[in-house]
Amino acid sequence: MALITYYTKGILTNRNLWFWGVAFMIFWLVLGAYSFAQGLPRQSNILVPYTASWYGTIALYSLSSLAISIAYSIYYASSSLAYSFRYTKLSPLSYAGTLVGSSSILGAILSIIMLVSTYGLFSTRFGLRLTPSNPIEAILISALAGIFMMTLAMFLVLIAVNYVGLQNINLVTFVPLILAYGFGFSQLTTPLPPALLYASPYNAIQSLLFQAYSGLAPPAQLDNASSSLLQWQYLLASLIIWIIMLFLIDSYLLRKIRPRQVEEGRQI
Amino acid sequence: MSGFMLSVQDLVVTYNRHSDGPVLKNVNFQIASEEKVVIVGPNGSGKSTLLKAILGLAPIESGSVKVFGTDVKGVRGDVRVSTNLAEVYRLAYVKAKDVVKIFAELKGGNPDSAFKMFYDFELGQILNKRIHELSTGQQKMFGNILAVSFSPKLVLLDEPFDNVDEGRRRRFIEVLRQLPAEMVVITHEFNLLQRLSDWGLYFMIEGRLWGKFSASLLDRLYITRGEASGSLAVMETSLGKLSVTLDHGDIAVRTATNLNALLEQV
Repeated sequence: MALITYYTKGILTNRNLWFWGVAFMIFWLVLGAYSFAQGLPRQSNILVPYTASWYGTIALYSLSSLAISIAYSIYYASSSLAYSFRYTKLSPLSYAGTLVGSSSILGAILSIIMLVSTYGLFSTRFGLRLTPSNPIEAILISALAGIFMMTLAMFLVLIAVNYVGLQNINLVTFVPLILAYGFGFSQLTTPLPPALLYASPYNAIQSLLFQAYSGLAPPAQLDNASSSLLQWQYLLASLIIWIIMLFLIDSYLLRKIRPRQVEEGRQI
Repeated sequence: MSGFMLSVQDLVVTYNRHSDGPVLKNVNFQIASEEKVVIVGPNGSGKSTLLKAILGLAPIESGSVKVFGTDVKGVRGDVRVSTNLAEVYRLAYVKAKDVVKIFAELKGGNPDSAFKMFYDFELGQILNKRIHELSTGQQKMFGNILAVSFSPKLVLLDEPFDNVDEGRRRRFIEVLRQLPAEMVVITHEFNLLQRLSDWGLYFMIEGRLWGKFSASLLDRLYITRGEASGSLAVMETSLGKLSVTLDHGDIAVRTATNLNALLEQV
């Protein structure tokens, strides 16, 4: 379908995504490789999990920036969607399906950029080949993560558009990013209970990406290898359940979409 | 099925129940097969809201809108209805040519016919720009061309000639005249009505719709203060009652460029 191509193209030409979702994240990776890594021994059993934890965390942040772009695109399209569902062949389900396809492609693209950047920066810094253990797995997890970010962004925007109003739409579009920073940073440095990590889709993404890069089971606290280990099966199941649940709710909310003037949201 | 292509009955639209009154107040009108009508009214009279209500883009408080016999709230996938409203073409943040391709696919039409019309109107250069990069007049023509492309059966046009130069206005009016579709055109300008003499004519003032008259009678219509005997219609407005009369009255409609000016004279 043409819409998936054009939608992906539209998001990919969004300069904000390239700055905040790519350039700013590479800046963090530079800090991770050159500033925060002072004093680390040049041993692969230490450097591989260190690099993987940076990849998992930064890829999570990058993917949550994608959610902002998707949220804005849905909010700007509310009138167009209300019209299109009535007077074109587009249905709520086919639109949601289009976004699933598009966000999985975008998630994979961002992931590849983060994989290459992480590998290049950390390998150069430490003089070791810190090659991702399973790049295909990392790309597939990122594609799923892209879908999750899309379903979450759509859920938040449709709640605002249909029921709450657009007074705080700018804040609403940033919620996925705020949550990503909160959950992502917590797992990096804080011993969180495994039940919370399994229930949180953000930590599931971060942990699965850690495992894909390092080939090691993800610890509950990423900078503490001796903390309890998480099982990837539960993490993956958690992420998929979140996606299915949000997708079903989104499909319902899309059917009820209320056309809004974009001017309503111009508060800042 | 009512037999009408479009049927609006006792339509009331209110945007904000707490602070505003209704924007549309018990509006009634119908469009029969291949009928074309123009609705004129001053700015803020509710013309665009009426169009949005028909498109399902305005909150209907009471009454009904039926499009090809189906209540607008239940319409799904009816590709026969089109509009020039810019906001409906914001489905993706892409160039104008891609928007054309998207809607050609969603409408089941051929983008080439739309592209040809852009070039016929000497607007080929706008296809490589994004919608927000176009001038107001170019945006209007972009919506106009998409509205008449892909074989629509019911075309709803909001101020299609605003900020459009005279040459393109004349050519687009010819396109509209020749299009085999029902049509509702909303405008606040009278001078275009001379070219639409075989169309139905409605006046919209303060959220109420008055008519139907014939645009061919435009030169003979007068507005008269109060309730005149033998009037074609009596419009109740905040200015008091105004009668639409034929061949005599206080102010000739033809002397005004638009309804705003006419009401100011009244």
